[in-house]
Amino acid sequence: MRKIFIRTDYCKGCLICVESCPKKILKSSSSISAKGYTLPQVTNTEKCNGCGICEIVCPDFAIAVEKKDKAV
Amino acid sequence: MSGAPLEKKEDGIGAAGLISSGRHYLEGSEACVEGALMAGLKVYGGYPITPASEIMEHAARRLPMVGGRFIQMEDEISAACTLVGASWAGGKAMTATSSPGFSLMQETISFSIMTETPLVIVDVQRPGPGQGYITTSQEDVMQARWGHHGEGPIIALAPSSVQDMFDFTIEAFNLSETWRTPVLIMAEETVAHMREGLFVPDPDQIKVVLRKKPQDLGIAPEDYQPYGHDLVPPLADFGDGYNINHVSLAHHPDGNVANYNLDMHRKNVDRLHDKIEGNADVIARTESRFLDDCEHVLICYGAVARTGVEAIMEARKTHGIKIGFLRLVTLWPFPQSLLRKRIKKVGTIFVPEMNLGMMMHPITEALRDRCDQVVSIPSIGALHRPEALLEKIREVVKC
Amino acid sequence: MLKHPMLKYLKESGPHGTRLPFIMCPGCGAGQVLNYTLHAVDSIIKEGGARKEDFVFISGVGCSSRLTSHYLNFDSGWTIHGRALAIATGVLLANPDLNIVVFTGDGDAAAIGGNHFIHAFRRNINVTVICMNNGLYGMTGGQVAPTSLSQAVTSTTPYGNIEDAFDLCRLAQSSGASYVARWTTAHPHKTIKAIKKAISKKGAAFIEILSQCPVHKKQTPVDMIRAFKAMTVPINKAEGSSKIPVGEFCDTPRPEWTQKYEAIIEKCAGRKS
Repeated sequence: MRKIFIRTDYCKGCLICVESCPKKILKSSSSISAKGYTLPQVTNTEKCNGCGICEIVCPDFAIAVEKKDKAV
Repeated sequence: MSGAPLEKKEDGIGAAGLISSGRHYLEGSEACVEGALMAGLKVYGGYPITPASEIMEHAARRLPMVGGRFIQMEDEISAACTLVGASWAGGKAMTATSSPGFSLMQETISFSIMTETPLVIVDVQRPGPGQGYITTSQEDVMQARWGHHGEGPIIALAPSSVQDMFDFTIEAFNLSETWRTPVLIMAEETVAHMREGLFVPDPDQIKVVLRKKPQDLGIAPEDYQPYGHDLVPPLADFGDGYNINHVSLAHHPDGNVANYNLDMHRKNVDRLHDKIEGNADVIARTESRFLDDCEHVLICYGAVARTGVEAIMEARKTHGIKIGFLRLVTLWPFPQSLLRKRIKKVGTIFVPEMNLGMMMHPITEALRDRCDQVVSIPSIGALHRPEALLEKIREVVKC
Repeated sequence: MLKHPMLKYLKESGPHGTRLPFIMCPGCGAGQVLNYTLHAVDSIIKEGGARKEDFVFISGVGCSSRLTSHYLNFDSGWTIHGRALAIATGVLLANPDLNIVVFTGDGDAAAIGGNHFIHAFRRNINVTVICMNNGLYGMTGGQVAPTSLSQAVTSTTPYGNIEDAFDLCRLAQSSGASYVARWTTAHPHKTIKAIKKAISKKGAAFIEILSQCPVHKKQTPVDMIRAFKAMTVPINKAEGSSKIPVGEFCDTPRPEWTQKYEAIIEKCAGRKS
């Protein structure tokens, strides 16, 4: 299962990652960051294939995912 | 007329493409460029304007001979900007313009002061305002200090001869590298276009200063603070591996932008002020004669020093007037304490200028308590003739 | 915690405080463009195409230009409005071996910077210009820009824009740029590929990236990105379409400025006694 890490101090809740994930495993959540932004949440982590699109499209470098070759 | 480039014979070129030591006979414009090359000029970005174009043309011809690069840009703003980029990449850079172009360069100058970027700008002054006229002038001497927006002092030199155009250009580069600041050479059309003898010393007699870099001080890239470490911070070049961020917004010593931090901005401004104005005694120079026993004194700068010194010599010799002579080599930082050291008590201070009276103001501020009066002798668009200066001196001194 | 792979190219904090997160608004396209650019740069460095120390980032003033303000763990300069290309020209002349990337916005590049824009491309100086086009002046409050569409309502065209927009790619191309491409923030992989190609080529390259300003356009970032996909068409299918063409406009190598000047230096050095 690949882990997805979200930097809650960098994330601004734009939800571009949610829109861009081809497996649709990111969703908006009810969690609010310390700066007041709505954080995304990871659902169905088993479906993540480590494509890294969320990493590429994030404007704030706030999400990181274990890549295909680092899968446990 | 064919389109072939004009061949110009280049005499007097010595080793490494630099001017050979010994005597030469050159125009002030040419001497300026030769001095710049001697100081290590690598990049010239220019734009044509009368009466400064000769400096640019000479640079266009000479720079590739020393492996440097010349470019004529699309306007004065971009010409000045070219110097900023070149300096950041480790290349000593210069441009020359005249008064209307000097106005255009003020934002870039302000930016260079805040980012502490060494570069040299020559203003070959002509009368204004507007297109004004294309003869000689000293009407930009206040603009040199106050024309850029914001606080932030600057260094400005006033050459009086072809020799000065050579020597002061080298000095300007040395000052810019030593103090990590833009430096202005406030020439005039007179000095740029006059043709005189120039003596070039042996290369080992000529001091050339290179900027202080963090690697020279053993500072590692991860510890480097582009606006820290010292009153004059060390400056890494692009490509040195120091990841330098040049920032002109209020900043911390490490280059981090100081958001919502007026205190930090105040510190920026104060350090820039201390760096130059606080070192005015070390930076500023004057030259003087006959001050020991003088009853009056003539204070001037630039081309006016040539006729000024003739006038006072004649006043002393023929009319027995005990008048001394002082020329400001450095206009800014204004050498206030130097003036007060040299001039103790006189009757009249004469200040001839090719404007309606500009440097007379800081001169008055410095010496009002040391004299009976300050008399400004203005001239617009032309150099004062020595007879005219002498006549004024005699009229005031009643002799 | 796993770090974003491109954070190694940013200065997260220092002796005088943290620098991230970026000052940009939530969902601003500029951050995405930086992400794409760093992916391209990282790829070039990994493949041995250039060293990290050889990269220099220059920007002007505006939201896009804030990318170089103090975030990059590279040599950089955050300069004057519109003059990034002029300053980049100076950098190149002092050291032609540096890889210069210019970040600019549509107002910075095409309004106040317009003169330097056309001349840099005319000269074909070795630089990659990445222009984040959001069709307005973001930093100052959403004023009209030379790239704002006709009838756009902005803070300075409250009755609708009566002017037409520049086509920045056509402008760069006709000025003489050797490589010109347009993409949007909705095309991450195409953009990364275009930037990598532009940096790897000698000569002046122009990459226009349509970028969202959600705050002044009053739309969500996601809606704007969906719109970028819908309003664009590949350039080879653009004939007769009213959509905005994306893709490569030209790829026409020609001698670069410093390469041509080198011949002059060699000739003059040969003439030295």
